[in-house]
Amino acid sequence: MLPSEYQDDSSPPNVLLIDDSVDVHRVLRARLRTEPLELVCVSTGAEGLERAPDLMPALILLDLSMPKMDGFEVLRRLKDAPATVNTPVIVLSGLTSTHDKVTAFDLGAMDFVTKPFEVNELKVRVRSALRLSSLVSMLSQRAQIDGLTGLWNRAHFDSRWQEFVSSATRHSRPLSLAVIDLDRFKSINDSFGHPAGDEVIQGLARLVGGTARSSDICCRFGGEEFCVILPDTGPDDAQVLCERIRTRLEEVRWPRHPERQVTCSIGIAGVTGSAAMTPQAWLEAADRNLYQAKEGGRNRIVVSDLSGPVQLADAS
Amino acid sequence: MNESVRNMGEPVRSVFADDPEMVELVELFVSELPDRVRAISDAAREGRAGDLRDLAHQLKGAAGGYGFGIVSEAAAEVEAPLRSGGVDLNSVRSKVDDLVDLCSRVTADAE
Repeated sequence: MLPSEYQDDSSPPNVLLIDDSVDVHRVLRARLRTEPLELVCVSTGAEGLERAPDLMPALILLDLSMPKMDGFEVLRRLKDAPATVNTPVIVLSGLTSTHDKVTAFDLGAMDFVTKPFEVNELKVRVRSALRLSSLVSMLSQRAQIDGLTGLWNRAHFDSRWQEFVSSATRHSRPLSLAVIDLDRFKSINDSFGHPAGDEVIQGLARLVGGTARSSDICCRFGGEEFCVILPDTGPDDAQVLCERIRTRLEEVRWPRHPERQVTCSIGIAGVTGSAAMTPQAWLEAADRNLYQAKEGGRNRIVVSDLSGPVQLADAS
Repeated sequence: MNESVRNMGEPVRSVFADDPEMVELVELFVSELPDRVRAISDAAREGRAGDLRDLAHQLKGAAGGYGFGIVSEAAAEVEAPLRSGGVDLNSVRSKVDDLVDLCSRVTADAE
């Protein structure tokens, strides 16, 4: 997904309700039916903690008094997890002691609503939380866009890559990472000037963004290096897509230097089924392949499949 | 608890009885209420204090949510003494009876 597409995303935000009472699920479903949001209800803290990273809710409504894991503990864990640390949480509770409120706010809750709900109050508090949440996500998104190319930047890659690796590992889904680097980029800058170099970087960015699918995450990693996260894609399919990028790039005629062809080298590391690799080791594997592509004469792709026990042993 | 409603045998209505968003849910709650009440009576009769406390707690929350504040309060009166543990169940029997009586008069109809 490109940042520009992300901004156009108009699907209603997910709101995750964690409450052990089915009655509260029913009442909130009825009360929030007309609000522009998608309500997802779970009955235990454990289930809420498990669903949240994939669901990426814009808001969490959290009951305090639940058996087994109470709301305070759930809140503590939500705020400890990178995926949910910034997700606003409204605590719902029949408990109204000041001490409970103070504890909830200290743990990171953004608001507190007492049960039984006063309908209009609940609605405006949910709206207000969603408004804030959308502003925060817009700001944080702006901070994650590369100025020259409009692709995601390194900061965005770092946070998303970790999420994709844990999600793929948890669900045994395919996932690939491609690292793309312009060949002999320095000589373009040296021969034709930095504006020409910038045009090449922007050209490759357009090509990468235009070739990738909407589910792929395209980033400028820094300098003349790009990377693409390809969810639900094994290394073979990733190679097909990258091959398209590689051949399209070498066919481009550059206005500032039509006689000088520009090529790129690409390293891919992916899994078809399950892998247990750290995000860092995975990235290093893709980088090693990129290095091999350069060593092998540039303008080529080197792929490896990290699935299975053999690669696990290699990785450790 | 509102003494007049408790004592006069009048129907107990939801404050949401004519709220279009809630009508169906109030009806559902009322239709399921006899099961809840039976479970509460059974727990009281069989001396299961922990179960009684939990069931009363659930009813307290649910009744409030469906607009039966008075039922919620009656359930809270059953739950409260049981929260400290080691309580003689006989001491809450009358509160359970009050709750059961109140629930028997709950209706989904608006006035």
